[in-house]
Amino acid sequence: MKRSIAPAVALAFALLALAAPAPASAQVKDTLTVALVSHAPTLDPHMHFERVGILVNINMFDSLLHRSTKLQFEPSLATSWKAISDTQWEFKLRKGVRFHNGDVLTPADVKYSFDRVIDQTKKSPQYGNIRAIKEVKVVDADTVHIITDKPFPLLLERLVFFPIVNKKHIETVGDQAFGTTSPVGTGPWKFVEWKRDQVIRLEAFDQHWRGKPAFKYLNFRNVPEVATQVAEIKTGGVDIIRNVSADILPELKTHPLAYISSTPILRVHYVALDMRSAPFDKKAARQAANYAVDKSTVIQKLMAGLGTQVATTVQPPAFGFDPEVKPYPFDQKKAKELLTQAGFPNGVDITLHSASVADRPSFEAVSQMLTEVGIRTTPRMWDPGPAWNKFFQAEGKATHGAYGTWGNYSVFDADAVLHPLYHTEPGGWIGKWYARVEGLDRLIDEARSSVDQPKRKRLYAQIQQMIREEAPTIFLYTQYDTLAISKKVQYAARPDEWLWLYDAKPAAR
Amino acid sequence: MLSLVTRRLVRLVVVLAGVSLVTFSILQASGDPVALMMPEAPEADRIALRLSMGFDDPLPVQFGRFVGNIVRGDFGQSFFHREPALPLVLARMPTTLLLTLLAMGLSLVIAIPIGILSAVRRNSAFDHGATLVVFLGTSMPVFWTGIMLILLFAVQLRVLPVSGWETWGALVLPAATLATFSTPLLLRIVRSSMLEVINLDYVRTARAKGVSEWFVICRHALTNAALPLVTVAGLQFGLLLGGAIITETVFAVPGVGRLIVGAIRQLDFPIVQAGVFVLALIVVLVNFAVDMLYIYLNPQIRVR
Repeated sequence: MKRSIAPAVALAFALLALAAPAPASAQVKDTLTVALVSHAPTLDPHMHFERVGILVNINMFDSLLHRSTKLQFEPSLATSWKAISDTQWEFKLRKGVRFHNGDVLTPADVKYSFDRVIDQTKKSPQYGNIRAIKEVKVVDADTVHIITDKPFPLLLERLVFFPIVNKKHIETVGDQAFGTTSPVGTGPWKFVEWKRDQVIRLEAFDQHWRGKPAFKYLNFRNVPEVATQVAEIKTGGVDIIRNVSADILPELKTHPLAYISSTPILRVHYVALDMRSAPFDKKAARQAANYAVDKSTVIQKLMAGLGTQVATTVQPPAFGFDPEVKPYPFDQKKAKELLTQAGFPNGVDITLHSASVADRPSFEAVSQMLTEVGIRTTPRMWDPGPAWNKFFQAEGKATHGAYGTWGNYSVFDADAVLHPLYHTEPGGWIGKWYARVEGLDRLIDEARSSVDQPKRKRLYAQIQQMIREEAPTIFLYTQYDTLAISKKVQYAARPDEWLWLYDAKPAAR
Repeated sequence: MLSLVTRRLVRLVVVLAGVSLVTFSILQASGDPVALMMPEAPEADRIALRLSMGFDDPLPVQFGRFVGNIVRGDFGQSFFHREPALPLVLARMPTTLLLTLLAMGLSLVIAIPIGILSAVRRNSAFDHGATLVVFLGTSMPVFWTGIMLILLFAVQLRVLPVSGWETWGALVLPAATLATFSTPLLLRIVRSSMLEVINLDYVRTARAKGVSEWFVICRHALTNAALPLVTVAGLQFGLLLGGAIITETVFAVPGVGRLIVGAIRQLDFPIVQAGVFVLALIVVLVNFAVDMLYIYLNPQIRVR
C-alpha cells in the first residue's frame, strides 16, 4: 500500500530532515569522503590484513619506505637504506618526525613496531609477511638494523606497508584502546573518531613532516552496497568510490559530477586447473584449455577494455616478469587437436567453480569458450565465505578447477603469486592441492631465498617458460583498478590499489 | 491465568535453549575459523591457535562451556574484533530496534486506515486499487525496493540522503523500505478481519442505536478485529528484524544485522551466537507480550 502513501510520508519526513543540520558543504572543499565496502576490525595497523583497513592506515601512519605512483621505492621514515650483508640491512631514520601526540620518532619505536608483530603471543595476522625478520637492532639515535634469518629478497616490498607506531603511547593506553579510540601515527591525518559501521573521521596533522595535506578532513564511510555507493557519488555524498564495475562505467564516465580514473594493477585472473585427475592431469588437455579462450573478446566485451592479456600469472609490473614469454593465442583448431591428443576425441565434461562474484560474466564466458572446443564446462558459482573457503582452499575439493583472481597483497614480485598458486608445500595456499609441476617447487624456493636480483630474474624467466609450457593454469588477464571520483577532487588511481590521499587536491575551478 | 503466564515463560526458555543449540550446531558444521584467521600460516601455527581457542575439545564439552558462559552473559571474544561479543551486539541493537519500530509504526499507520476503508467500501475501485498495491508490495524484494527508493528520492528528487544514519532524514528511506515489506500483510489482515465482524449482529445493534457509522467501525468493529492484527503484527516483528538485515546493508545503517552478516562470512562464532541469541530473545519477548495483550484483549482466554 505504501506506494501511494509513501511519497507524502517521505516528504513530511524530508521537511523534518531539512530542519536538522545540513551536511557540511562549505564554499571551500575541505573534506574528502571515501566510501569503503567495510571497515577493518581495528585501526591498529598491525592487527588485521584487510585491504579496506590498509587504505585507512596508510593515511594515518608512515612506514619506513613509501612507493611512488611509478612504483619506485621512496624514502619515508627511513631516508636511506642499504644491505650490509645477505641477511642484514641498515636503515637511517628521518630526524625530527613527530607523532600525532607530539612525541618524536625514535629508533626504539621502529624496533617496537616489528617486535609486536614478531611476538607470536600477539597473534598478528601479518606475522607471516615478516616471518623472515629475526631481529631489529637499534644501532644509534637514527640508525636501525634489520636482521633476517635467511636472504629475504622481499624485505623492501614488505616495508612499504609496515607502519611504525609509538612505543610509549601504546604501552600507556594499551593495545585495545590503540586499535579503537586512540590510534597515533606520524601520517598526514590524525584520528578524530570511529563510529562503528558508519564512518572513520580523520583531521589533517599540522606537524606532518611532508607538510599539511590539501584536505583538512578525511572521512572513510562504510557503505556495503555497491548500488548505494554509486548513488552516493552521483549525488555528491561521497567523493571517491572503488572497484567501479564495467556495467556502471559508461554511466559514470559521462556524469556531470564525477569522472573515472583507471590504471592497470597486479590482480590477475586465472583458472587453476586440478592436475591430480583427468582430464587436466594431461599436459595436452591443459594446453588445449589455454588455446580455447579468446581473452581479448572477454576484455573488450565484459571488462570495458580495462584488462591486459598475460602469458602466465606473473603480472607485467611485478619484479621478475619476462616479456619474452608470450600469451597463448586464441586457436580453437589447435585446442581440438590437443584435446584429441590428450585422449578426448569426443570431448570431455568438467565442472569449474568460482566464488568471485564480480567476475561471474567472465567466468561464464570462459566456460562457454571451453565448451566450444569440446571441454564441456559446467560453471558453478559459490557464495564467497566459509563454505567456499573450506571447499576450495582448506580441503582442495574444487575439481576440475576454479576461476579466481590474485592481487599479490600489492607485492610487486613474482614470488607473491608463484608461491601461493603453485608451491606444493603443506600449509601453502592452493598450490598444494591443484598444481603438480615437476621441479617447480625447487625453482620457487631458490628464487625466494636469494637477494641477488639478476639471478632471481633469470630464475623467474625460467619459471615462466616452464609454467607456460606445463600450463597448470588457464592464464587469462590482469585487470584495472577503477575509481569514480568527484569532479571537485583531483586524484588518480594507483597501480598498487592504494588510496594515498596526500596526493588528492581540491580541483581547480 | 497465572499458570498460563508460567507456561508461556517456560516455553520462552525452551525456545531460547533450542535457538542456542541450533546456532551452535550450524556454525560447527560450517567450517574452520582458524583457516580464515590465518589463511597463509603454516599448519603448526594453526594447530596452536586452535588449541588456544579450545576448538579441539569434544563438541559436547564445547557446547557445555558455551551454555555455561551464556548463563553468565558471556558469549566470548569476537575472533575478528577481538572484543567481547555481547557488548558489540548490544551497542548496535538500538539502531536495529529503532529501524524496526519505525517500520512497524509506519506499516500500522498505513495499513489500519486503508484496511478499514477497503473493508467498508468492499469491491469499490479503492478496494481493488489497494489489493493491487498489496500484490506489488508483497512481490518486491526488500533490497530492490530500497534501491528504487534511493534512485527516486535521493538521486532524482534529491530530497533525502542516499544512505547513512547521521540525520533524521536518513531514517526515512530505510524505514519506508522495510515498511513495504510488512504493510501488505497487515493491510490484508485488517481488511479481512473487519469484513468478518462488520456484518455481525452486535455491529448492527450498534448501528441501530443511531451512533455515527465511523464510531461504530472504530469503537465496536475495530476492537474485535484487532485480535488477529495483534497476532500478525507480533509475528511480523520477527520478520522485520530479519528484513532489517538486508535494509541495513542497502542503506549503510550501522545495525546488528550487518554485524551478524559480516560475522557469518568471517566465521566469527561468538558474534553470530550472541547476535542470534539477542534477536531470538527479542522475538520471543515480543511474542510473549502479544500473548499477554491477547489475554487483555480477549477475556475468553482468561477463563479457559
